[in-house]
Amino acid sequence: MGFDMDLIDLVAKKLGVIQTVVDTPFEGIKSGQDLNTGKCDIAAAGMTIKPERAKVIDFSVPYFNATQALLIKKGAGYASLESLKGKKLGDQSGTTGKDYVTSQHPAGVTVTEFEDLATLQQALATDQIQGAVDDLPVWTDYIKKNPGKFEIGAEFQTGEQYGFGIKKGGNPALLKTVNEVIAAAKTDGTYNTIYMKWFGTKPAA
Amino acid sequence: MAATTTADRTGGLQRRRRSRLTRRQRTRLIRTIQYAVFVAVGLLIVLKADWPRLSHDYFNLAIARQLFPDILFTALRNTAAYTAMGFVFGLGFGLLLALMRLSVVAPYRWVANVYIEFFRGIPLLLWLFFLGYGVPTATGAQLPGQPYSPIVLGLGMPAAAYMAETIRAGIQAVPKGQAEAARSLGMSHGQAMVSIVIPQAFRIIVPPLTNEVILLTKDSSLVAILGVTIGTKELTKFGRDALNQLVNPTPLVIAGLCYLIITVPLSLVVRRLEARNNRAR
Repeated sequence: MGFDMDLIDLVAKKLGVIQTVVDTPFEGIKSGQDLNTGKCDIAAAGMTIKPERAKVIDFSVPYFNATQALLIKKGAGYASLESLKGKKLGDQSGTTGKDYVTSQHPAGVTVTEFEDLATLQQALATDQIQGAVDDLPVWTDYIKKNPGKFEIGAEFQTGEQYGFGIKKGGNPALLKTVNEVIAAAKTDGTYNTIYMKWFGTKPAA
Repeated sequence: MAATTTADRTGGLQRRRRSRLTRRQRTRLIRTIQYAVFVAVGLLIVLKADWPRLSHDYFNLAIARQLFPDILFTALRNTAAYTAMGFVFGLGFGLLLALMRLSVVAPYRWVANVYIEFFRGIPLLLWLFFLGYGVPTATGAQLPGQPYSPIVLGLGMPAAAYMAETIRAGIQAVPKGQAEAARSLGMSHGQAMVSIVIPQAFRIIVPPLTNEVILLTKDSSLVAILGVTIGTKELTKFGRDALNQLVNPTPLVIAGLCYLIITVPLSLVVRRLEARNNRAR
């Protein structure tokens, strides 16, 4: 996500380094393997801070309040997970959206799990599923790119927050810098500018 | 000038002769070096690896225990089922393609050639994606027979292309005299093919067909791109999801070992089958 990258740019600028972006499957990121093995020093992947993950990763302070959302085809009228009874609901492997759906396990809804965002989107576009759960910013971006086709059916306040990940106990100095940069960006308005750029609104206070 | 060169040359020869070992000594030296390298590499791995972390991350028994019995009764079963479906379809269709490639009717040969080249060339993942998402986009409807039809076609159609070539090679390896003898007994071309040539061809191609099943077993991991429900997960997907949930890579190791539950017995059965065939020949 571009928002993460812009924030990481601030960290890189502060450190006076040039970052190399490694595009890698989510499993490797959140199981801590990518960080442990030195494949990367910092993980910026729209990753929600969760206790299980915090066991294997050091998280920065939160930099984003994420909300889960149900994406449906425009006019389909599903306003909750329960309203999809007898229908199919899609989610994405390894995401907190999937965790949310699993914890709700709405009765009579068949849950199909997709490998990545692209297949989840394709499945909804080709009517294999009637609703798809993922992070709200992901869907707002998708709706913007496909105007008139999809809409948000429901939002779920799960209270989750994104954090940058650093190797567990591996680099306290970097962690400190990242936290400082996030705090500074929030006070000097850079954070709001970046937020505006990617989401078109001001962050909720 | 010439004299020095000769002297040098003899000197060199003598030096070489002095350092030359007997053949036996040389063999022993080379063997010692091979063992030394083996031991050195082994020691390096043992000493260099971070064993506590490795065992916590990859051989964590507490994590592994949570995978059972679902990993066997759902994931392993699905992997075996998908492989079997793909193989049966691939074998039947592959036989047809092989016969088409050997046909005297030119258009049959062309169609079979194009099919084989196409499916051998494109990555399986893209073909599965096309079946799962391209077909519904194009036709506005999903393939009938969900969720198995995209799996059968997705794994089976490319497998058929590989097997067609294997079967063709097998048919061509059966001595011509066999078909000729059958024809001289009054069999038609078709009869000779079905009852004389093809059975012998299959006996020849058992080892490469086994390879094909083993490859297919592992390729079945790609069907996860079609989207899975709890009941349709195969081994790799199951392992990856468990990795996500339990935040530990041990499930990947266990899933990997489960593939061996399919492939090792298969290899053993085929080896016995081959031994029997060889005795019968």
